[in-house]
Amino acid sequence: MNTNVDWLQRSLAIGPELLLMLGGLVVLLVDMWLADDDHPLLPGLTGLFMVGALIWSFVPFIPGMGITPGTIYGMFALDNLTIFFRVFVLTSSLLVLALTTVYIKGRTEQTGEFYSLLLFITLSVILASAANNLIMIYLAFEFLSLTSYIMVGWLRDDVRSNEAAMKYLLYGAISSAVMLYGMSLLYGATGSTNIAEIAAVFANPRTEIVGIFNLGITAAVLMMVGFGFKVALVPFHQWSPDAYEGAPTPVTTFLSVGPKAAGFAIMIRVLTGALGAQTESWQAMLSAVAILTMVVGNLTALAQTDMKRLLAYSSIAQAGYILMGLVANNPADNFGIRAVLVYLLAYLFTNIGLFVSVIGFEQATGSTTIDDYRGLIRRSPFHAMAMVIFFLSLLGIPPTAGFLGKFLVFGAVINAELYFLAVVGMLTSVISAYYYLNVVRVMFFQGDEEDRPLRFAFPLQAVLVITLVGTLLMNLYPTPFLNLIGEPTNLVTQLFGQLPF
Amino acid sequence: METFIPSPQGIPWLSIVCVIAPLVSAIVTLFIPSGNDNAVKMWANVASFAIFLGTIFIWLFAGYDPNNPAYQLGEVAEWIPVLNVDYRVAIDGLSLPLVVLTGFLTWISIFYSTRVINYRVKEYFFLFLLLAVGMFGVFIALDYFLFYIFWEIGLVPMYFLIGIWGGARREYAAIKFFLYTLTGSVLMLLAILGIYWGTGSFNLVTLPGLMQNSEVFGANGNFLVKSLAFWAIFIAFAIKVPLFPFHTWLPDAHVEAPTAGSVILAGILLKLGGYGMIRILMPLFPDTFNAYWIPIAVLAVISIVYGALVAMAQWDLKKLIAYTSVNHMGYCMLGIAAAASTLDRGPELMESRAIALNGAVFQFIAHGLITGALFLLVGVIYERAHTRDIKQFGGLGAVLPIFYGFMAITTFASLGLPGLAGFVSEFMVFRGAFGVGLQAQPILAILTGIALLGIVFTAALFLWKVIQGLFLGTLNEKWANLPDMHAWEMISVVPLVVLFIFFGLYPAPILNLINQGVVKILGMMS
Amino acid sequence: MSSIPLEWYLMLAAVLFAIGAFGAFSRRNAVAILMGIELMLNAVNINLVAFWRYVEPQGLEGLMFAIFSITVAAAEAAVALALVLALYRTRDTINVEEIDLLKW
Repeated sequence: MNTNVDWLQRSLAIGPELLLMLGGLVVLLVDMWLADDDHPLLPGLTGLFMVGALIWSFVPFIPGMGITPGTIYGMFALDNLTIFFRVFVLTSSLLVLALTTVYIKGRTEQTGEFYSLLLFITLSVILASAANNLIMIYLAFEFLSLTSYIMVGWLRDDVRSNEAAMKYLLYGAISSAVMLYGMSLLYGATGSTNIAEIAAVFANPRTEIVGIFNLGITAAVLMMVGFGFKVALVPFHQWSPDAYEGAPTPVTTFLSVGPKAAGFAIMIRVLTGALGAQTESWQAMLSAVAILTMVVGNLTALAQTDMKRLLAYSSIAQAGYILMGLVANNPADNFGIRAVLVYLLAYLFTNIGLFVSVIGFEQATGSTTIDDYRGLIRRSPFHAMAMVIFFLSLLGIPPTAGFLGKFLVFGAVINAELYFLAVVGMLTSVISAYYYLNVVRVMFFQGDEEDRPLRFAFPLQAVLVITLVGTLLMNLYPTPFLNLIGEPTNLVTQLFGQLPF
Repeated sequence: METFIPSPQGIPWLSIVCVIAPLVSAIVTLFIPSGNDNAVKMWANVASFAIFLGTIFIWLFAGYDPNNPAYQLGEVAEWIPVLNVDYRVAIDGLSLPLVVLTGFLTWISIFYSTRVINYRVKEYFFLFLLLAVGMFGVFIALDYFLFYIFWEIGLVPMYFLIGIWGGARREYAAIKFFLYTLTGSVLMLLAILGIYWGTGSFNLVTLPGLMQNSEVFGANGNFLVKSLAFWAIFIAFAIKVPLFPFHTWLPDAHVEAPTAGSVILAGILLKLGGYGMIRILMPLFPDTFNAYWIPIAVLAVISIVYGALVAMAQWDLKKLIAYTSVNHMGYCMLGIAAAASTLDRGPELMESRAIALNGAVFQFIAHGLITGALFLLVGVIYERAHTRDIKQFGGLGAVLPIFYGFMAITTFASLGLPGLAGFVSEFMVFRGAFGVGLQAQPILAILTGIALLGIVFTAALFLWKVIQGLFLGTLNEKWANLPDMHAWEMISVVPLVVLFIFFGLYPAPILNLINQGVVKILGMMS
Repeated sequence: MSSIPLEWYLMLAAVLFAIGAFGAFSRRNAVAILMGIELMLNAVNINLVAFWRYVEPQGLEGLMFAIFSITVAAAEAAVALALVLALYRTRDTINVEEIDLLKW
């Protein structure tokens, strides 16, 4: 084959990533050239690059482009999972960008760098979800971590922002070191860093390294520390409430969605890909982690008085539910993975929607305390009602996206006959009703004296409407969303089968 | 024979009347500019009356054949093909009376609320109409996924109705109601998923057959799994009914809810549970239900006796009536347990089982009308006196003669006086349960005998507490100048009273309808 | 083949990793914690290189992995020290026990 054509096709295939990288650099340069920090060109360019990348994400679907599922130099997997996460993270970044334009004004002078970092962190999530090699996973993982540390600590003069970034970094660096140790053991056990080759070795052990073969499961445990940290699973979750509370709220919004998606993508690839032959071992471990996460996350959330911290614990608990889908995955039809993806998508709409409301409220009143939401129904009825729908979605009450997600995840769990896990999950979700509805109670049942209307900026309104429509539509007309994830009958081939495993 | 008959000319009457109309009315309410409370009230009244007429239309003019046991006026549309979920609605003899009852009580409640609710009016009527969507939906849905969605939709508006317009402890009552019901629903969701994996379907029309043929849930299936699924669904419905010991949310919710909320709660929401037992649990788990009929019958009898005794101990009029709901719904459960107590003991028992189950379903209607009226009447006295403490009343008979009259006939109906609707249903439940008991299950006969005590207790408590406590004895001077019932209050109560008298004297039209549904369900069980 | 068995390298790496982890968990000074983390990362590098030499000497993955991990560690240290500086400016301390504004 002509090498030039090959080069062109590869570039086409990773076009969105190239575009994002280019965008990050361009925005930096433009910012240096512009005198005005609040110049609309900065978010405009950022959005343009994101939209471009989003459109480019669909290029592989165009027939005749010559782009087939596969890996690029064995490092970057181009399959349905990658495309799903591209669309996923670009959507969330675009929504977060809209929030940022409102939030960042007057809070910091380094706006250009912030937009540039937003492009880079988007890139890092895609790279992490497409990584097909331990080296690539580690690099993308650290890329994501470093950008998020900086973004959490963005408000340099804000003590809380600094403190959050420091805590995030210390926890993150330790857990990624542990993860790296696990990766080195996995490399030692199999002699390869390529996920497909690792899987092949485990399926068909080589005799000469049989002595350290058992390191595989140790490696899985150690790597779980890193993955668990990224998606905030108990007991690696302590950073998340602090980071959520201290970070600029748009960053919190992104943190609650992007790194979670990346973490689950890596887990899907490593656990079901590389360690697929040892499913029983990590399944037991992960179901214990899932139970712990749901119980601790939901119980701790009960005591919260700050909205951002509440959402932090809620997102810890949600990670537990998502993890259940992975635990209960059946390799024959990958129903569990499909449920995980649906749940993540539902979570994207719901959580970003909630954070928009929080940002709008914070912009208007300067507060994130739950008690200050008193009488929101009188001050801004639309937002109060939207928040109710988002809370119901997190709770899994129809007709919302969250219900579809929970339905599928618990479907996978029941199908795997993990009844205990299912019952724990359901009962903890009843507990979560208490704290979600507590906010509803404050907004609707109290504060009759409040009637000063709240105005939300236009970008916030727009994002709110988009997320609200997404949240409702995903349950009322879920077919397009399910199609994004792949036809269930041939999902296996779509997700993994066509890879050169 | 056709079991699922599509709507004639393909006009989706059920969707139009029961889903689209209330939903659109609710949304329109939101768009009425704020400040126009009267416009909102007018609109809600017109809309709910039109919906009520729509349910009558469905009953009489839409092509429903009352002598055909099949699901009729059916509509099917593909919804989530990936999961084999369809939008499938239809009605039969079991659900049609409940649909009409829902339309009727929703209208009555909204009419009554027009005068009473003057705080956050727009939200109130929006939520009330939204609640109607959920209630109608449960009765017409024939896809378990759809059923569950409507089941949950009904939960949220009620939470707000109690929490915003309720009494002093409204916040506590609202969250208690929500958490209890949600616990039941999530357990049911797990069972739904189990059924889906066992049969690959949510279709309630074909599920009874699919369940029998499935490996796990069939007659030779895994009894443990069947039992788990059965109890998960049973608890969800039992919480809603509410059956002892899952009833503790009910007194709180009833006492704190606004009057119209109590009417709907007692009149419709409690029936959702009983309806689910008959529509879903009996055909899907016939042998499992049969295996556990004794504990269920025992719980029903405990509900009957305990509900009556605890009601007797109450001095809060509304709480008293709330506990009589536990007692009255116990009769329904007894009838259901009696119908499930024998499966293959030949056709000679069929008649008694059918009578018991008919009685249970008729009790849904009778209790909805009677208790609805009772709660309205409690609302009437509370609006005047601002207390519901029976000890503070007495001798009101001379001051409020009209109110006395209404209250007297409604309490008589509630305690099961012959000639009124409550008697018909209770008599049928006892007749059916005794019939099954004497012929096949002696335990059931004994339990039914104990349940008769409940009748005695309710009679005592209504006569002693309500009639004597409120209307006889010496008058508290505070109440000497209370005005008697207004015309609009009578307009709300009279239709209920007329209907429960009418059905007490001439229950045949409703019973024929119900019987078609009941016989079909019992047929599915064998 | 070399006379020193693979296990010795692995043990050295494990001990180094443990010392690093102990340092990271026990120190209160943010910079000292970072030093502990560096030690952990370097233990991993020993692992990687040893595994490369003994398990898969014909490939280059282990070496590449080690080189990348050194680079990333440097980047991480840069970000961390920048944060430490920012924190020191606002709080006049880098003792992690005194950094306690955020708590449940």
